[in-house]
Amino acid sequence: MVKISVLQHAPSVHLPARPGDPTPTTRNLDPLMHPFARARERNRALNAAKMDKLFAKPFVGALEGHIDAVEVLCKKPGSLSAVASGSWDGGVILHNVSERKHIRRIQGAHKGKVSGLCFAQDDRLLSCGVDSKIKLWDASPQDDITEQRPLNEYPGKSAFNSIDHHRSDPLFATASNIVQIWDETKSAAISNLTFPTSTETITSVRFNLSETSVLGSIGSDRTFTLYDIRTGKAERRIVMQMSSNALAWSPTFPTNVLLASEDHNLYTFDVRQLKTPTHIYKGHVAAVMSCDWSPTGLEFVSGGWDRTVRIWKEGQGTRPEVYHTKRMQRVSSSIFTADARFVLTGSDDGNVRIWKAKASEKLGIITARERAAIEYRDTLKDKWKHDNEVGRIQRNRHLPKPVYQAAKLKRTMLDTRAVKEERRRKHTCAGESKPNAERKKMVITEQT
Amino acid sequence: MASSVDSLFVKAQNTTLPKSLRPTSPPPDNVPKHKHVKDLKLRTKLNRQAAHAARSKALVEDAELLLTNEAGKMQVETELERTWRIGQDDIVQSASQEAAKGRRELKLDGGPYRSRYSRNGRHLAIVGNMGHVATFDWQTGAMHAELQLQETCRDITFLQDQSFFAVAQKKYVFIYDRDGVELHRLKAHIEPTRLEFLPYHWLLASVGNNGFLKYQDTSTGHIVAEHRTKLGACHTLAQNKHNAVLHLGHSNGVVTLWTPNIPHPAVQILAHFGPVVGLSVDPSSGGRYMATSGQDGVVKVWDCRNWKGTVREWTTRGGGAELEWSARGALSVAVGGSVNVYTKLSIQTSHAPKAPPPLYLTHPIPHRPLTSVRFCPFQDILTIGHNAGLSSILVPGVGEPNFDSMEADPFENKKARREREVKGLLDKIQPDMITLDPDFVGALAPPTKLTTAVNDTHDIPFARLPRLERLRVQGKADETELVDDDDEDVADGDGDKNAKPQSRMEKEKRKMRGKGKSVKRYLRKQRKNVIDPTAVAIRAKLEKQREEKRVAKAIENGSMEARKPSALDRFRRP
Repeated sequence: MVKISVLQHAPSVHLPARPGDPTPTTRNLDPLMHPFARARERNRALNAAKMDKLFAKPFVGALEGHIDAVEVLCKKPGSLSAVASGSWDGGVILHNVSERKHIRRIQGAHKGKVSGLCFAQDDRLLSCGVDSKIKLWDASPQDDITEQRPLNEYPGKSAFNSIDHHRSDPLFATASNIVQIWDETKSAAISNLTFPTSTETITSVRFNLSETSVLGSIGSDRTFTLYDIRTGKAERRIVMQMSSNALAWSPTFPTNVLLASEDHNLYTFDVRQLKTPTHIYKGHVAAVMSCDWSPTGLEFVSGGWDRTVRIWKEGQGTRPEVYHTKRMQRVSSSIFTADARFVLTGSDDGNVRIWKAKASEKLGIITARERAAIEYRDTLKDKWKHDNEVGRIQRNRHLPKPVYQAAKLKRTMLDTRAVKEERRRKHTCAGESKPNAERKKMVITEQT
Repeated sequence: MASSVDSLFVKAQNTTLPKSLRPTSPPPDNVPKHKHVKDLKLRTKLNRQAAHAARSKALVEDAELLLTNEAGKMQVETELERTWRIGQDDIVQSASQEAAKGRRELKLDGGPYRSRYSRNGRHLAIVGNMGHVATFDWQTGAMHAELQLQETCRDITFLQDQSFFAVAQKKYVFIYDRDGVELHRLKAHIEPTRLEFLPYHWLLASVGNNGFLKYQDTSTGHIVAEHRTKLGACHTLAQNKHNAVLHLGHSNGVVTLWTPNIPHPAVQILAHFGPVVGLSVDPSSGGRYMATSGQDGVVKVWDCRNWKGTVREWTTRGGGAELEWSARGALSVAVGGSVNVYTKLSIQTSHAPKAPPPLYLTHPIPHRPLTSVRFCPFQDILTIGHNAGLSSILVPGVGEPNFDSMEADPFENKKARREREVKGLLDKIQPDMITLDPDFVGALAPPTKLTTAVNDTHDIPFARLPRLERLRVQGKADETELVDDDDEDVADGDGDKNAKPQSRMEKEKRKMRGKGKSVKRYLRKQRKNVIDPTAVAIRAKLEKQREEKRVAKAIENGSMEARKPSALDRFRRP
């Protein structure tokens, strides 16, 4: 006899059980059922890269109010929307970033430039200026801008350049020609921290975010110095090729510090090994004026003299995201918001601008299906980034013409210098020894 | 004391560990460890990627459990019984009511009929030579369109699904809507004889009596390529579904393979002594086997990976046979007055030369000529077009039982059809990606043999070298992933054991043919104003080589006599 069975598809398995039910799907993952799987996936990756660029509209809004250039920005710890900005005309404005309103506006907080801002505990704001005064303000909301009085005033001996508050104690540190530690309750500095042989002006001072007794500072004699409050003195110091303009401690890796340097680069150092930087970030075509880490510790933002804001990934030293606008002039300060979604920049034209950290991110409510699609597209872009076309679209950045030409010129000049160096090494006795690594050339000496 | 302390700690219920702290599955075995990579971060990343790929592979193998449906079969129990003795009546009796609907006869007059199923097997399009065109859902019997065109119609095909179909009419190709409304007259396709639609590239291809193969993109309307076959009128066209290459059979017995990117055929083989009548490519092997039949009555099965002669050939009683391969590898041959079906196993097992493989099923059809055979995609049904209409027969075991809803779903509703159409358009592959080997996408490019080094030394400064050269100079170039294609076994199959292994020199010569040598490029660059002693020396050497070659050739021709050996040869400079 013979056994016969003819193929049939049961409609109960393939049609919805009740009207309104979703149709059941069946999958067969045999590669023969899916011809051109790789070509189709590459197509989807290409479309994902193009959509990324299509929807890249990073500028969210501008916060106005200052009359002169914005010098310093500071975000309130523990708050997502409160940001203080200080400008050259001596005014300090406390903004609510999400509503784009002024919480408080202090006109004439200082005579001259406001050079440093930081938040103290319990809704209070500290500001320091080139008029050698430190003032403590109440940062709670207030509508009128009539003559405002500080809660407390701390007079100093010379112009202040920077101020930073301790993580938990009522202490703050200031930078002028020395680093001074102040107690909020006392009207004079409680200690001076200097390196024994230094005669410099300190331009920026920052407390470490986890080891809270440790301070870092950068000075005008091309140095970066580490201090400890508990010993009351400077611990270690490195002298670099060019001076730095800003300093930021990593929020997730406590020994990492980021320096924004005059030689157009940013450097991360591990403070346990200060001889060489761990990473060099090359991209700006003019001095880097400010830097700030994202709260995730995986990204940081830098604002430069070349009128661009660049968002870098930690570990990737080239090709950051670049934001620029014709109306934005020299960027003097840049910070990340506490939710790592936005970047705020203060520039010479007197505006504080809000940008998205991910330029093509959708700001509204994202449904679960949308989120799954976004994650799929991100994975596709990551998988196919080595493909020529997909990679070219992802790497491409539009730069303003002056910045582009400057970058080209810089590239040519560096190339010729490298070629000349190589020819010298080839034809002189300098070639008998191996050339120095780029990283090792950066730090001149380390002093303890 | 302890109990009071315990009461302070509320036992956490219904919490989940974060993903990073959950225990992961043990790493799979046989994962390549990249020990040669010195950078720790890169090595970790590569190891993780390799482990992830190995896990995915294992999951895909496990996913076979998801396949719930089983294929049909016809098995004989005794030695004396044969499967081909079983007639359609017996099969219909053993089949269920739903499956038995597949056995039907359509009695139509309108000339010999040709048919085509849509990709999901739900809709059927038929065309008769006199101009009778009909499209319908054969499972429910719903008619979509029926037209009497009153001119010769030679072929029909659905476009992306049942919403459009194209008919190869007497002079041009026409595209119609689902309801039979004429939408387009494609006046570029002149006197078309056969049509094929490439679903992933959205290309409609036609061959005609003028010997032109034309590709037209049906989403944008552009003509992508027009190829002159230079082999006369063509009446046989087949598509390889796995690489979108079109197979044409010509009247001088030649089978040619075409892509839209090359103006000449990619492959050309002399298959038969007379015109090629039937042509089909096997989808169950990924497009590896091709079956051809000629007017000489021979059916040949070829291996498309290495064109080294037929895998199998046999003679049929009768002239040209219509061929079609099913999704599970069964071959149907319609010749003379009957249709024969052979299964995959019987074709591939060893055989006596020139004898046909053991027969699986046969069915006689009294109306000659038999003009087309088509398998229904996910059913055990074979539709034969003949002079008096169409007949559908049941052939157990030829249909793919498990379909993938994302690709083709016979049960899709209106919403799913729309979604699939839009997704198909977004994923449309450009025609310049069509090659004989579809797996080149995402593969590493072959290593270039061109280098800027002259005699292994770089004259160019280090900062100006290309990146790979710089890494090579530093000794950091990682060449472990490069697989030399010359040394790999290209063909696996029966025929390659006789192949003479080509010498490495021959292979390199053939590969570099037509490409400028690095030395010549270097000389071209140096030619400008600088008088470089090295360049002069190299030029002199090349001149000498050329002179020697000329002399050797002249001696071969006989126009010059070879120099007779003399005692003074030892003083001659080499």
